Amino acid sequence: METLVQLTLTSLTTGSMYALAAVGLSLIWGALGMLNMGHGAFMTLGAYAAMTAINALGLPPFLGIFVSLIVGAAIGILAHLLVAKWVIVQDGAHTNIMVATAGLAILIEDSILKIYGGYPYPQPFSVTGSVSIGGVAVNLQSVFILLVALVLVGVVAFLLLKTKFGRAIRATAMNRDAARLMGVRTETVFLQVMALAGALAGVSGMLISTQATLSPMMGGAPMLKAFVICVVAGLGNVWGAGVMAIVLAFAEVVVGYSIGLHFGFPAMLLIVILVLIWRPEGLFGKERVVRL
Amino acid sequence: MKRTQKLQNHLFIGMAIVAGFALLPMLSDERFFLGQVILFFIWAIVAMSWNLLAGHSGVFSLAQLLFVACGAYGVAMGVTYFGLPIWVAIPAATLLAVVVALIIGLACLRLSGVYIALLTLAIAQIVHSLILSDTSCLDGSGVSCVAVSGGTRGISGFDGFGFKPILRGNWILGNYYVILGAFAAVIFAIVVVIHGRLGLAFRAIRDNVGYASSRGVDRKRYQLLAFVVSAFFTGLAGGLYAAHFQFAGPSIFEFSNVLFVLAMMVVGGMGSTWGPLIGTALIMVLTEIATGYGDAKNLLLGAALIVTVILMPNGLAKVIDDTFTKLRGVVRPKTIGKEVRN
Repeated sequence: METLVQLTLTSLTTGSMYALAAVGLSLIWGALGMLNMGHGAFMTLGAYAAMTAINALGLPPFLGIFVSLIVGAAIGILAHLLVAKWVIVQDGAHTNIMVATAGLAILIEDSILKIYGGYPYPQPFSVTGSVSIGGVAVNLQSVFILLVALVLVGVVAFLLLKTKFGRAIRATAMNRDAARLMGVRTETVFLQVMALAGALAGVSGMLISTQATLSPMMGGAPMLKAFVICVVAGLGNVWGAGVMAIVLAFAEVVVGYSIGLHFGFPAMLLIVILVLIWRPEGLFGKERVVRL
Repeated sequence: MKRTQKLQNHLFIGMAIVAGFALLPMLSDERFFLGQVILFFIWAIVAMSWNLLAGHSGVFSLAQLLFVACGAYGVAMGVTYFGLPIWVAIPAATLLAVVVALIIGLACLRLSGVYIALLTLAIAQIVHSLILSDTSCLDGSGVSCVAVSGGTRGISGFDGFGFKPILRGNWILGNYYVILGAFAAVIFAIVVVIHGRLGLAFRAIRDNVGYASSRGVDRKRYQLLAFVVSAFFTGLAGGLYAAHFQFAGPSIFEFSNVLFVLAMMVVGGMGSTWGPLIGTALIMVLTEIATGYGDAKNLLLGAALIVTVILMPNGLAKVIDDTFTKLRGVVRPKTIGKEVRN
C-alpha cells in the first residue's frame, strides 16, 4: 500500500513536469505546424537562468520560477523571430523546421556548456521538509512541483478557453488560412504561442532540475519523453498531451521501480509504439489518417 | 535529357571522383591526412544513403546513426566475442543493420511525416541510453566490470583489417584502398538507384503519395525498401568505421554526431545526387577549423544548420546547379506549381 501511494505520487510529480513540456510542444505544433527540436534546450536554459538568478544575482529562491518563466518566454520569442518565422513559410517546412530548431538546440546547449562548463550544478531552489499523508512520508518538494504544474496548466487552460487571445490560437491551429481571413493576426499568434510554450518549457526545465542536477544536456531526455507523449496523444492535441503525460509517467515509474530504473523509458516507448500500430493518428488524434 | 543519358553522366562524375581519390595518396601519404580522407569516405557513405532515404524517399528518419552503430558494434562484438575474421564480421554486421532496419521500418513506416522522425529519434536515443547505462557484467570475477556492450567506454582493441604485418608502415594505405573500394561501390549503387526506376518511384511517393499510390506505386513497400537499402549502406559504413578505428562506442550515435551528419546532408542539399558529398567535405573541413578555435565544433554545426535552412533550403547542390545554369545562359522552363516535399 505504502509503495503504491509512493509510486502514484512520484508518477504524478514526474508526469506533471512532462505535461508542462508536452503541452508547450503540442501548442507549437498545433498553431505553427512545427516540431520544436529546441524545446529541450529551452528547458535547460530555464533551469540555468533560475540558478544564475538565485546564485549570482542573489534573488530570493522562489523568484527563480519567475525568472525561468521569463527567460523561457524570451527564448521562445527569439527563436520565432530569428528562425521559425523564416522557415515555416517554406516548401517542405515540416522537415526544414526540425533541422533548423535542432541546430538552435545544439547552439544553445553548447553555449551553456561554454559558459557554465559541463560540471553538474545543484538547483539552489528547493523546498525542504516532508509531511505525512496516510502514514506515508511525502516530500514537500513533490507537492510543490505538482502545485506549480497544476497552476500553470490551469492558467493555460483559462487562456485557451476563456480569452480572446486563446480563441485566436485555437482558430489558427484549426485552420491557419481561414483564421487569417477572419481577421486573426496569425503572425502575432505565432509569437504568442512561442512565448507561452517557451515559458512552460523554462519552468518545466527548472522543476526537473530540482529533482536532479543541472547539466548542459539535461533537456534532451525530457524533450524526447515530451515528444513521445505528444505523438501518442496525437500531435497538436493539447489536452491529450496533458493526460498522456501522467499516464506514461505512471508506466515509466512503475516499470522503473519493478524492473530497473533505466528500463522505464524504453518501456514507455514500447507502449507508445504498440499504441501507434493500433492507432497511427494517436489516441486522441482527430485528424483522419488516410492509409496509403 | 533522357534518363539513361543522365545516369551515364552521373556515373562518369562518380568515376572521376573515385579515380581522383585513388591517385590522392601519391600526392600525400601523410598518415593524418589519409586518416581524415578515410573518415570522409565513411561519413560520405552515411550522408549519401541518408539522402537517398530522406531526400529522395521523403522518409525523414533520425535513426541513421543507429545503423552506423549497428555496423560498428556488430563488427566489434563479432570479432571480440565470437572470434570472427574481420572479412566475415563486416558483412555480418551489415546484415545486422539491415535486420534492425527492417524491424524499425515495419513499426515506424505505419506512420508518416514527422511522426516517423520522432519515433526513429526516440528509438535511437533509447538504445544509446541503454548502452550508456549498461552495467551487465561480462566478467564478474575481476575487479573491473566489463559490460557486454562496453558501456560508456565502448569496445576497442580488437583486430582491424590486419594490414599492419603485411604493409608495415604503410598499413593505412591498405585501409585507405579497402574503404575507397567500398565507397566507390556504394556511390555507384546509390547513383544507379537514384537515377533508375526505383528512384523515380521514391520521388513519386515523396512528391504525391495519393497520386503515386493510385498509379500502383505502393507507399509502404517502396518506403520500407528505401529504409532497408539505406540502412544496408549505412551499416556497411559502420562496419568499416569499427574495422578502421578498431573501436565501437556510444559516441558514434550521440545526438551531436547525428547533427554532424545531418548538417553534411542538409548543407550539401537534400534530394540532390552529389550534394551530400560536397556537404561532407565542407562540414569536415569547417569543423576541423572550428575545433581549433576553442572547440567551437557544435556552435558551428548549429549555426550552419540554421543558416542553410533559412538562406538556401535546397542546399549547396542547388546553388551550384543554379549558378551553372545561369552562366550557360540556359533558360529553364519554370516548373508549374510548387514542389511538394514531405
